[in-house]
Amino acid sequence: MMNKLILGRYIPGDSFIHTLDPRAKLIASFYFIGIIFLANNWQTYVVLAAFTFFAIFLSKVNLGFFIRGVRPLLWLILFTVALQVLFTRGGATYFEWGIFSITEFGVINGLFIFCRFVLIIFMSTLLTLTTPPLDLSDAIEYLLRPLKAVRFPVHEISLMLSIALRFVPTLMDETEKIMNAQRARGVDFGEGNLIQKMKAVVPLLIPLFVSSFNRAEDLATAMEARGYQGGEGRTKYRVLEWHLKDSFVMIAFTLMTVLLVYLRA
Amino acid sequence: MDIRFEEVDFTYQPNTPFEQRALFDLNLTVKEGSYTAIVGHTGSGKSTLLQHLNALVKPTKGTVSIGDRVITAETNNKNLKPIRKKVGIVFQFPEAQLFEETVEKDIAFGPKNFGVSDEEAKKLAKEMLNLVGLDDSYLERSPFELSGGQMRRVAIAGVLAMEPEILVLDEPTAGLDPQGRKEMMEMFLRLHKEQGMTIVLVTHLMDDVANYANHVIVLEKGRIVKAGSPKEVFADIAWLKEKQLGVPTAASFAEKLAAKGYSFDQLPLTADELADSLLQVLEKVGDSQ
Repeated sequence: MMNKLILGRYIPGDSFIHTLDPRAKLIASFYFIGIIFLANNWQTYVVLAAFTFFAIFLSKVNLGFFIRGVRPLLWLILFTVALQVLFTRGGATYFEWGIFSITEFGVINGLFIFCRFVLIIFMSTLLTLTTPPLDLSDAIEYLLRPLKAVRFPVHEISLMLSIALRFVPTLMDETEKIMNAQRARGVDFGEGNLIQKMKAVVPLLIPLFVSSFNRAEDLATAMEARGYQGGEGRTKYRVLEWHLKDSFVMIAFTLMTVLLVYLRA
Repeated sequence: MDIRFEEVDFTYQPNTPFEQRALFDLNLTVKEGSYTAIVGHTGSGKSTLLQHLNALVKPTKGTVSIGDRVITAETNNKNLKPIRKKVGIVFQFPEAQLFEETVEKDIAFGPKNFGVSDEEAKKLAKEMLNLVGLDDSYLERSPFELSGGQMRRVAIAGVLAMEPEILVLDEPTAGLDPQGRKEMMEMFLRLHKEQGMTIVLVTHLMDDVANYANHVIVLEKGRIVKAGSPKEVFADIAWLKEKQLGVPTAASFAEKLAAKGYSFDQLPLTADELADSLLQVLEKVGDSQ
């Protein structure tokens, strides 16, 4: 069912990118999304694209998977690009019809937005393809720590996050199993009109909710039985380690920011 | 209605980094009226094979013929309902599929999907509930307030209510107590014997295979490594041990007796056969004295 979804999955490996500290990768990914808005001319986009493709090259993951990651969002991207192209005015006008117009600025803006989308998706795909979900949730917990000062329940949130991440594949399996069982009993998923389609989901949703409740109860009992009493006074088994190369990544990003600001029109 | 596999290959998520081949060049036939057992380790492809039996998945290569319908990779997903009605599958832990407010509605759900009238479906629900060993008082109860074993029975009744010609069972007794296990297996045997229902059983329990099945298929890593009658498959105990498949209790006991000097004409597979052959030996001893 989820066969086509590449975004959000992890491919094991031992490349430079794989072995980076997840905190470094997480910060870098968010930072990248921030600085992509600095780009506003050809030179800056070329720098960003070169940087992204270099990172992909370093990860040793096949470029095809990234392209496949873009595919589910392709229509959204094309829609946005089309809006930009059709409604931006300025520069030489190539075509005009009522409120629609294709202009020089529109085409350039459209292309920039396309690049922006693709680069952001490539970067976030790179993050999830090279980082196991649990490492990510550790990194999020660490980075949220300062929020403790404002009484934000950092431990609880990160616990929920890691449990949720852990159970995504389990729930997917379960969904598929129940779906198969109901199909074997004559349910047609995704057929008929909207009402029929929605009705067909009931025999899938109810068992899923029920089994989630049961699972939550079992898990809570098992956690308590093993002495879990909340976040206070716990030690950590998986300790994140910041290496020299993680600092290098941060420096590379800083240098790129400087370069972008310099090249900006 | 026979089910025939011809050179069936199946690959999960083809052309992605997560591609995984599960079945390799399978050729097999489930004959009408047979009781076929499929055994093999976890991950040997049993459950994948099972989903081919009513076209829940389509082979990536080769053909699966279910009666006169032929399923290939190109087969359209539409109009598969007639197959699903003829081949009922009881999945592992089928209690997870219950969802209606009452047991009656849940059992009637399958038949109704296949166009059976409300009244007829209700009648079937009652009949099937009794068949799996629960009385009418359960009809109006919510499936979620039942015990695990009772839920299992209701779920199985839901599949039986579709009145399938072929019943596929994926470890139907896993997690049941010994009494419930025996009752279930006896019920399936009755359906097989009295109504001539074709049964396909996936199991890890070699005793069930020896006691009930008349055809055994051994799967390993997506390939069939042995197929035949239980006698043929269990004939080579050393081979079974090497494959870590386990041996029926009676056979393993008989083997120990044989090691102490007892000789059997043929290795007994079930407790009955063992008792019979022991009786013969004892009678011989009695005669000679």
